[in-house]
Amino acid sequence: MTIDATMVGRSYAAAESYQVGREKIREFADAIGDPNPAYRGDEAIAPPTFAFVLSAGALDLLLADPDLGLRLDRIVHGAQKFNYVRPIKAGDEVAARATITTVRKAGDVEVIMYETVLTTAEGEPLATSTATVTHNRADA
Amino acid sequence: MSPQGAAEVGTELPSLTVTLRREDLVRYAGASGDFNPIHWSDRMAAALGLPGVIAHGMLTMASAARVVTDWLDDPADLVEYGVRFTKPVVVPDDDKGATVTFSAKVDKVADGLAEIDITAIAGEDKVLGRARAVVRVP
Repeated sequence: MTIDATMVGRSYAAAESYQVGREKIREFADAIGDPNPAYRGDEAIAPPTFAFVLSAGALDLLLADPDLGLRLDRIVHGAQKFNYVRPIKAGDEVAARATITTVRKAGDVEVIMYETVLTTAEGEPLATSTATVTHNRADA
Repeated sequence: MSPQGAAEVGTELPSLTVTLRREDLVRYAGASGDFNPIHWSDRMAAALGLPGVIAHGMLTMASAARVVTDWLDDPADLVEYGVRFTKPVVVPDDDKGATVTFSAKVDKVADGLAEIDITAIAGEDKVLGRARAVVRVP
């Protein structure tokens, strides 16, 4: 099958929460070349775009939905937006749920928007990630 | 917390130039878990019609955020951040890598929030479009 507009609203929750550790935050901050002291130590908060890493588990489920027929190597990230409720910090247990919000088709190309809501395991809202990706089925 | 300097419409934030080499892409792949081969394999990048290995869009987005979070006293004051990935950042396999320069300007201040437009230039190309951050200001 292939993704179409009737699949808007499908949602995918990562099976396990992600436990954010201060060394993972430091590793990520080092990887983006950001020396900001806010991202180090016991009170570390995560750099803003770390929210995307936390949404990856839910995205994997979306990509694995056989009804959608998507392939990671045919996807290009077109746009990305984050809305933050509070910073993600070391010690947070983060749950992610991705929901398909828009599907537009033009020939072999599908433009898909999905929103991933990040909360603590207790349900406290942390951030929302909105991604727009282009999937190209040409030669598929 | 307050930004360094006044947040007034037209305020230009200190710009930032970042060099991305292959090593940086490998490091970001490992830290982020994004092992898409277009970010480390010339062969796989060419197979997809790319001019070469390209930087992760999320790495460019993370670098662009620094223009804003370096200016803030506390990066926790970032409340909204969005970009469009308009052109890939091609990272050659050499010591020079790719250079991206980020600049930013306050576009609007209202209700304790400042809206900041960010520009990202690699070579001649604007690699991010509609890059905008909303931050809390005093």
